[in-house]
Amino acid sequence: MFAHIFLNRLKCLLRDKETIFWTFAFPLALALFFYLALSNIGKGDAFQGIDIAVVNDSRYQEDQYFRTALEEASKGDDRLFNLTLATGDEAKRLLDDNSIKGYIIDGTPMELVVKESGIHQSIIKSFLDNYSQTFGAVETVLKSNPQKYQEVIESLKDRKNYIKEVSGAGGKPDIVVNFFYTLIAMACMYGSFFGMRETTDIQADISPLAARINIAPVHKLKAFLSSMCAALLIHFIEMLSLLAFVRYVLNIDFGPRAGLVLLTTIIGSIAGVFFGAFVSAVVKKSEGIKIAVLIGVSMLGSFLAGMMSTDIKYTISRNAPIISWINPVNLLTDAFYSLYYLDNLYRYALNIGVLSGFTVLFSALIYLIVRRRKYASL
Amino acid sequence: MVIKVKNLVKRYGDLIALDHLSFSIKEGEIFGLLGPNGSGKTTAINCILSLLKYDKGEIEVFGELMTPEAYHIKRDIGIVMQNVAVYNELTVYENIEYFCGLYVKDRNLKKKLVEEAMEFADLNEFRNFRPKKLSGGLLRRLNIACGIAHKPKLIILDEPTVAVDPQSRNKILEGIKELNAKGATIIYTSHYMEEVEQICSRIMIIDKGKAIATGTKEELKAMISLGEKITVESYDISEEQFARLRQLPNIVSAEYNDPLIEIKSIKGKNNLENVLEFIKRENIQFGKIYSELPTLNDVFLEITGKELRD
Amino acid sequence: MPVYNLCIKIIKKNIPTLLIYIIVFLGVSILVSSTAANQQKAGNEFISNKSNIAFISEEDSPLIEGLKDELSKVANFIDIPDQKDALQDALFFRRVVYILRVPEGFTQKFMTGEEIYLEKTMLPDSASNAYIDLSVDKYLNTAKIYMEHMDNITQEGLVAYLSANLSEEAAVTVLPAQTNTDLYNIAYSYNYMAYSLSSVLILGMSAIMLAFNNRDLKNRMACSPISETKSNLQFILASLSFAGVTWLIQIIACFILDMNSVMTPNTVFFIINSLVFTVCATSMGFLFGSIVKGSGAISAVTNVVVLGSCFISGVFVPTELLGKTTLKIASFIPTYWFVSANNQIAQLSQFDLFHIKPVISNIAIILCFALAFFSLSLVIRKNKRYS
Repeated sequence: MFAHIFLNRLKCLLRDKETIFWTFAFPLALALFFYLALSNIGKGDAFQGIDIAVVNDSRYQEDQYFRTALEEASKGDDRLFNLTLATGDEAKRLLDDNSIKGYIIDGTPMELVVKESGIHQSIIKSFLDNYSQTFGAVETVLKSNPQKYQEVIESLKDRKNYIKEVSGAGGKPDIVVNFFYTLIAMACMYGSFFGMRETTDIQADISPLAARINIAPVHKLKAFLSSMCAALLIHFIEMLSLLAFVRYVLNIDFGPRAGLVLLTTIIGSIAGVFFGAFVSAVVKKSEGIKIAVLIGVSMLGSFLAGMMSTDIKYTISRNAPIISWINPVNLLTDAFYSLYYLDNLYRYALNIGVLSGFTVLFSALIYLIVRRRKYASL
Repeated sequence: MVIKVKNLVKRYGDLIALDHLSFSIKEGEIFGLLGPNGSGKTTAINCILSLLKYDKGEIEVFGELMTPEAYHIKRDIGIVMQNVAVYNELTVYENIEYFCGLYVKDRNLKKKLVEEAMEFADLNEFRNFRPKKLSGGLLRRLNIACGIAHKPKLIILDEPTVAVDPQSRNKILEGIKELNAKGATIIYTSHYMEEVEQICSRIMIIDKGKAIATGTKEELKAMISLGEKITVESYDISEEQFARLRQLPNIVSAEYNDPLIEIKSIKGKNNLENVLEFIKRENIQFGKIYSELPTLNDVFLEITGKELRD
Repeated sequence: MPVYNLCIKIIKKNIPTLLIYIIVFLGVSILVSSTAANQQKAGNEFISNKSNIAFISEEDSPLIEGLKDELSKVANFIDIPDQKDALQDALFFRRVVYILRVPEGFTQKFMTGEEIYLEKTMLPDSASNAYIDLSVDKYLNTAKIYMEHMDNITQEGLVAYLSANLSEEAAVTVLPAQTNTDLYNIAYSYNYMAYSLSSVLILGMSAIMLAFNNRDLKNRMACSPISETKSNLQFILASLSFAGVTWLIQIIACFILDMNSVMTPNTVFFIINSLVFTVCATSMGFLFGSIVKGSGAISAVTNVVVLGSCFISGVFVPTELLGKTTLKIASFIPTYWFVSANNQIAQLSQFDLFHIKPVISNIAIILCFALAFFSLSLVIRKNKRYS
């Protein structure tokens, strides 16, 4: 009997193009969009120098060191600035037109004129600060050792890097991976569409088809479990394909613990399918409303877990931690991220534990609802 | 007794859907449940099948108390629901195979039964069609095939002919008779009195959840005073003549809706003869004249005071 | 107006689904504009707005003290026990964005010119990290000058020199209030509108179209005494009222979210831009309704197309972060032009022809898209009718 129901359910679900689309093709397409949109983050190739101007007055002309420094910074492929020489009025006009981010007036101290504050403006300021400060140091040195002029100037060119990055665990903290983790978490929750179908087709007060099953000489829970197995199997396979696509085609790093990544995906898939079954059993209204609830929950969950912006995830986890602990998408995302980034498995176990707890709770509630075999009304 | 229902009461809030309904069905019968929409036919069926909770009463099927877990009883019941209940993703053949498989484990037997059901519902041409591609009548036939493929001893058909074209309808009715002839007991609900009259060996008329009459169609018709309905097409009957017509013996009522005179008479012989004689005597011109025996609709009308049709 | 009323009824039936997108828009706008406001500030005043870092030193020396002083200009120090878990957790939950570790023996090796590094662990992609890097770099490289060229300098002397030098800063003048930074936040909301507007309009329009494409209904309409022109006019009127209401709800939401900038002339341009985009989305809905059959397929196609276009056009991810190729692909999508118009409008401070020209041309491009979609769907419908 198990095989009979299981195999037929497989057939049904596989031929349900719409559900296959939402649970498989849609996340795959989103992954591709993420890749297109995010692949550039963290790579510096977008930076092509900041447009600035310097007021070309007599002071600037005479200030040989500054001129050299500024010209040096505006040369070459990895230049910091695209420099324009201008009179004071011209510079002001260029700034008004948004042709430059700011202009510099040579003096003590250096003056920077900008229209707004922002990262580019800050970089210009930082350059000026650095120049004045280094220049100050050189002046101090030369005051006591005037003969070392040449040496000091030489050593200016030999700036050293004193910082080395060390990473936490397997992976570097990376915002981009988080987007993909959320996506996989969302796809896990989309398994709820399968779960929804399973309860719809077993609860006689929801569909006539289910009434027909209820009349057959088959134990209802057994029938339900057989078809849930079919739903889970299909969703597993979908999720594993998605995982493979993200890992091997889009080259997203999941850290060194491949086995646990697989386990997480499978637990997520189970959670999703059971969640859908639960919602479908509780919300007896039209299919449209059920779908709306499922999409709403998984999309809102994904949003709060940082699928659109990682900042939201951190804002939530800092200000309303309870929301991140009841959001299944966030739990899964964090589980993936812990595997990728953290050394110990404590946080991972915590996330997976809470998620499994929810799944067990859902299953218990589903059991309470589904075991009922006589209805007050049909 | 195949089914025994005693004092069944079902309430939906304030609404009493079944009001102390009692009946029993013997083996080999085609038992008709006749009543207007909303009279409680489907509710009664769902209670018998243990799908619905009911407030009071006892239901026995094959002499045993019916419960949701009574799988050995369920194994011998076939149900054809009012709503078509099939999987849209499975083909015609796969659907029948699936539902049959819930009852029959033996593979070869199952295969044979499915083929027979396909044959029975005349669906062979459409074997690999998905339900979405089937017309209303074919869909109903598939629905029936899914319900009866496992050769149940008791077949319940809940309005199987709603929205079905006359050709498919006749096919379905023929099929039901055939199933009965092979030994199945049948419960048939409908609000089409012609169908019920055509195939049922015993009929229960229900209204507002109450059984208002039970018996063979002859018995039912015998319950009412109306014996015959005579219709005369006439163009020149005068008011005096019409008044005299009403005075004729045995006549209960007469109405004149130009050009038709409808005369209802009590049971008895020679009613038509009397009318004909009267027309001849009065020298009234008439087109056609015909006499009808009462229908179940008349039975329903007389007992409830309203038409069966909606 | 029977056709008009029918259209409105169909829309009403779909309100629950459509409402979801509006609510998502509202939620996202509120959240995004609040977080955007924070981000904006972080970028603005990087000197005074300090980021949280953990400074862990395995030794104590005047040099390290000086470094810490210098860093305190750009960072707040958060005390975190020197345990790997605690530190990782702190980074994970963003209690700190940067962990700087001074290894034992650093000062000594530095003073003798040996190779030695500070160790950092940080969250990526945060502008503040760059300033901390710069600040450390500046301090130590300046120190290096003294060390290499001042003979017999003591640590204390070095630190004294450094603190004198490093207090020199450039003076920054921000030209007065020409750009309202709030406009950037509100531009986020307008950009997000691309998502909700397209979703709602495409779904709604295709719901109407699906009903009208039903063959029996079509035939019945053809037999009715209402002329085709009249019924088409009513259909168009209904679509426009639907689009208008959808647009209005979101515009009002944007106004409420940011009362301050409503009165700026930029708002006029935001309104025009979003209105033109509304027209474009409506005609996109018309196109989809002409091509796609079945409501399931409609919502599938809509979601993929709308999400996809929003992702690559800079609605969800800021345009500056997108790659060149991605943007090139995006330029074939109206959403891209809508977003870039919004971003340009946010920058506008002068409203002469020269400055508004790029905005106008972007809007014109969106209008062209609208026309193209509309004519394309007319062609498709015509071909369908004859087949």
